[in-house]
Amino acid sequence: MSANAILGLLGCGLLGLAGLATVIRLRRLPLRARYAVMLAAALAVFVPIGDLSIAAWVRGVTGDLSAATLVLAGAACIAQVTGRALIGNRDKRALCRLLALAAAFLYPFALGWTPFDPYALGFGSVEFVTALLLVTLAAWSARLNLVVLVVVVAALAFLAGAYESRNLWDYLVDPFASFYALAWLLAGVRLPNSVSLSRNSRQAD
Amino acid sequence: MTARGQRWASLVALALAFAGLYARVLTAPPLGGFAPPQTAARAESRAAPRYEAQLLPNSTAASVHSATAAEISGGRLRAFWYGGSREGASDVAIYTSVYSLRQKDWSPERAVVTREFVQRHLRRSVRKLGNPVAGRDSKGRLCLYFVSVSVGGWAGSAVNLMVSEDEGETWSPPRRLIASPFFNISTLVKGAPLLFSDGGVGLPVYHELIGKFGELLRLDAEGHAIGKTRLSWGQSSLQPVIVPRSEKEAVGFMRYSGDPPNRILIVRSGDGGVHWSRPEKTALPNPNAAIASVLLSDGALLLALNNAEEDREDLSLALSTDFGNTWRTARRLEGGSGPAPAPVPEYSYPWVMQDRDGDVHVLYTWGRSRIKHVRFNRAWLEGRP
Repeated sequence: MSANAILGLLGCGLLGLAGLATVIRLRRLPLRARYAVMLAAALAVFVPIGDLSIAAWVRGVTGDLSAATLVLAGAACIAQVTGRALIGNRDKRALCRLLALAAAFLYPFALGWTPFDPYALGFGSVEFVTALLLVTLAAWSARLNLVVLVVVVAALAFLAGAYESRNLWDYLVDPFASFYALAWLLAGVRLPNSVSLSRNSRQAD
Repeated sequence: MTARGQRWASLVALALAFAGLYARVLTAPPLGGFAPPQTAARAESRAAPRYEAQLLPNSTAASVHSATAAEISGGRLRAFWYGGSREGASDVAIYTSVYSLRQKDWSPERAVVTREFVQRHLRRSVRKLGNPVAGRDSKGRLCLYFVSVSVGGWAGSAVNLMVSEDEGETWSPPRRLIASPFFNISTLVKGAPLLFSDGGVGLPVYHELIGKFGELLRLDAEGHAIGKTRLSWGQSSLQPVIVPRSEKEAVGFMRYSGDPPNRILIVRSGDGGVHWSRPEKTALPNPNAAIASVLLSDGALLLALNNAEEDREDLSLALSTDFGNTWRTARRLEGGSGPAPAPVPEYSYPWVMQDRDGDVHVLYTWGRSRIKHVRFNRAWLEGRP
């Protein structure tokens, strides 16, 4: 199996584990039970049933997942297993806003709305890299570490050729992260004083 | 590590990451223009007209579609098409057969790509297979691009690549091409790939999710997508075919699926495929059907098309001697008082190519049940007695 396939499957498996842990509210179980459930879930996700594992089925639908999705999914898994949120609300809000902006810029045009194709910029554009640098430096100076982490992970994965894609956009953002960001922001608008999708992370705010 | 230490460490990581990104972008080699077209032998001016037609073998599939072919060593053509119980069924496989230019016969077909084979090697679920497209890369290897779908209809397609070092006898495992940011879905192929002078491959692709539009995907020598250029946009153009005639100049044609009048679309590039003109309607009809084109060795442009606005019952050949500005219908391959009709009179998805000796080959779907191959020379095309 190629390194691209292994990394892609690991990412999709991680998303599956995060989804499961969140849905069943894993952190309400005793600590040992959490580890046992995650271990069993990991086996179920990664061990092939017939030709394919559940992770491979997910990958068939989603493709390889961006650094944004992986960081959010990884943080969700850790939060459910340890009961300790890693991501602060301010950090998450900034990331979600940037993801929503990126999605609004990327997807309508990439789906053929106009002659302009922002996705093509991700194959190698000085302007695109410079814009990304400015955004990341602004995030660093504002101590928005989650944004910096996502961009650095995405850039290093892109440079290493971690996935089949040679386009930087695919390492930065994907539809999962975009939908999640939009839902999280909308939930925050509708329920400004209540617990939203980031119930755990608010504890660390 | 202290908070201050973490902060500076993150800045160092950021600096390293962007140094790498800038190094990648700034040291990328300049894009090459189109590679010179392969030159076939010019037809003898006094050659007698020659035309032959036959159906390709099909021992198993109730439905076949979307033929493609490439000339291979030993004076042969290798064709591919997909077939199964019906279009979109899970038992659809991609078949291949070899034609001897000398003996003029096709070998029994064999399945070269099945859904299970693709799924196993891609490590992804695959629901069905679609259009194959054959071509060569700059190393001379035979490449097979084909469509697969994991979820939904053809709008959920992605393109895969297999490479053969032995003219199609054995193949590398399939690899997914990444060409779209939206789950990498809705990228399909139909037109022939072309070569760039920098060793890359240009693969005409199209999208069918929400919008219908064409693009020219640029692949590196190893077959990774490293760039693309939009040929059209909106919701009414698909299945581009690109025909270069010099390093800078090319013309492209697209199937049209918009409001009447139903016409083939044309685009042009004068800078090696970096920029393309706005799509315009030609005078040639198009019943929302695939087309094919090739630059003949004498410089004429040949187009295979359904010569009607509403159906696929007429398959014809059109010639242009001014690189697509004006056209004349040269021959009708199917329809009218032509050969005996298929049980289902639909003739579609043509593939056209010229072999090294100058003969032209057209393969197309014949009544959805067989692939038909016609072979002719320039004299027949001109209608000379």
